[in-house]
Amino acid sequence: MTVPRWLDERLALERFRAKYLGKPFPVHSTFFFGEIALFCFAILVATGLYLALFYEPSAQILPGRGAMPAAYASTLLIDSHPFGALMRRIHHWAAHLMIAAVVLHLLRVYFTAAYRKPREVNWLLGLGLLGATLAASFAGYLLPFDQFSVTATAIGYGIARSVPWVGSTLADLVFAGQFPSSATVPRFFAYHVVWAPLALAGLITGHLVIVLKQKHTEMRRAGVRTDAAEGAYIHGIPLWPEQVALMGALFLVMLGVMAALAAFLPVHPSAFYGPPQPATPEVKPDWYLLWVYGALRLIPGTLSFKLFGATIGSEVFGAMLVPGILSLVIVLVPWLDRGPSSLYYTEPATASPVRLALGLATIALFLALSLAGFGAELGLSVPVLWIITVAAPVAVAWVAHAVARRRSEQLHAPGGATS
Amino acid sequence: MDRRRFANWSLKTGIVAAIAALIPGVVTLRGRTRTAATRGVEPGDRLVFALGDNAGEPISEGSFTQNEAVLAYPEGKSDNHENLAMVCKLDPAQIQPPTDLAGTAHGIVAYSAICTHLGCTARFSEEPMEQAPFPHIHCPCHGAMFDPQHGCKVLGGPAPRPLPQLPIKLNGKGEVIVAGPFSAPIGVKA
Repeated sequence: MTVPRWLDERLALERFRAKYLGKPFPVHSTFFFGEIALFCFAILVATGLYLALFYEPSAQILPGRGAMPAAYASTLLIDSHPFGALMRRIHHWAAHLMIAAVVLHLLRVYFTAAYRKPREVNWLLGLGLLGATLAASFAGYLLPFDQFSVTATAIGYGIARSVPWVGSTLADLVFAGQFPSSATVPRFFAYHVVWAPLALAGLITGHLVIVLKQKHTEMRRAGVRTDAAEGAYIHGIPLWPEQVALMGALFLVMLGVMAALAAFLPVHPSAFYGPPQPATPEVKPDWYLLWVYGALRLIPGTLSFKLFGATIGSEVFGAMLVPGILSLVIVLVPWLDRGPSSLYYTEPATASPVRLALGLATIALFLALSLAGFGAELGLSVPVLWIITVAAPVAVAWVAHAVARRRSEQLHAPGGATS
Repeated sequence: MDRRRFANWSLKTGIVAAIAALIPGVVTLRGRTRTAATRGVEPGDRLVFALGDNAGEPISEGSFTQNEAVLAYPEGKSDNHENLAMVCKLDPAQIQPPTDLAGTAHGIVAYSAICTHLGCTARFSEEPMEQAPFPHIHCPCHGAMFDPQHGCKVLGGPAPRPLPQLPIKLNGKGEVIVAGPFSAPIGVKA
């Protein structure tokens, strides 16, 4: 009696192997972004488990040694040992990489039209994951409680306060009082360590179960028949052992890269930033919020009016309307797209010139807004930045649409290659 | 009503009642602040340095030269961030309405240091900048600019309203003390 057979008699492993371990995974280099995000989450949880053993979620000032809040002192404690510093920096790099991977994954799904029926639900779950990731990141940024942390969170508090009509109550509930209140740090610790990870784990589970059920899309390849019978078979590598081997290799490479980055590129040096002070340093947000920062810099204070007792000013336009409208459009993409749906196949990026043009234009808009945050450094005035912000997406859309139209005419021209 | 109807009704009503019973509990999420933090600025408070080597020491007329400013808290009330003030020493001849001239003394004028855009701490500008005369107050976060010689009215950038003025006067020892409340609400307004 071998161990595998002993287990199989109790857990029906052979049935599991036959049903699941042979499931095919379509292969394409761009199909790895979702996995990278997942592995980043795993690394964040692992390093976070370590950090939580030392972190003190309190803004109480410790007596002696300068006015040092307890949370800041515990951050310095973590950094005082090389292993602790490595764990904290890997946590930081993994957070940034996770956001980048989620965005790249969103772009891949968008450009290959993998959001079409029946995958609209997964599109929504994915956007929920993006939101939960950003929320976790925002809450986590406060925890080291140094100058930069407090400044960034103070701006978030200002944005919450600016929400028309409900701003004061909303900010009071989310931030547990007027920032910087002593109750904010423990609450953000709860958001970051309990609420966000549970939400992320739940959404990830739903997201992956749906992919398992609907099967991952694959790209059409020339020479492979795509009639209805053929479409009933997915072309890919089996979960065991090829896909698991690839995933294992990817995970180890990612862990190695992040450890190297953490070891040689120190990030968020809390000891250097110092404990919170009344003065605000010249800071810019992290890269993924630069577009909101740029929008806030572009919109002038004169554009301000009262509506039913609430002030609608540049904070509402820059931090609520611009992100809100962009987010709403992205959420509605599966319903705005009238293209034919496919249960099994992705669509090449150039097959729909409008989709390609709008997607690239949106990327250009985000980049232009991020650039607008550097107006002072680049010596560009606000009107010039406005022109860039409007002209760049329009130009990109025009060019992309023309190129994609020409490509798709060539493909369908008589005598040309047929898809 | 038969048994099935009753069971359905009581289940639905029970679920709705259970959820509704949780709603009053939401008020527990509201912020709590320690009592000391709710103390605002009051007339008669001495202004002390907020930062630096002489943090906590009173600010007096001789503390700074012309066209300079320091961050200050009312003495003993530094735990309420909204009390943060910027005390500026300007040329008395240049200070004009809408500054409340009665709340200034020998060219010393104080404003709230909390930017009215999104709550960062503003800075007194040490150099002339584009689109703003010198001296002026600017915010490092999103570039709002204010004119301290004219009631901190907004010169440019995204701030929706001027920085509120804190009327001050000098006591017998030449120290800067508060003469009245801030002229408008502080910081971000819903």
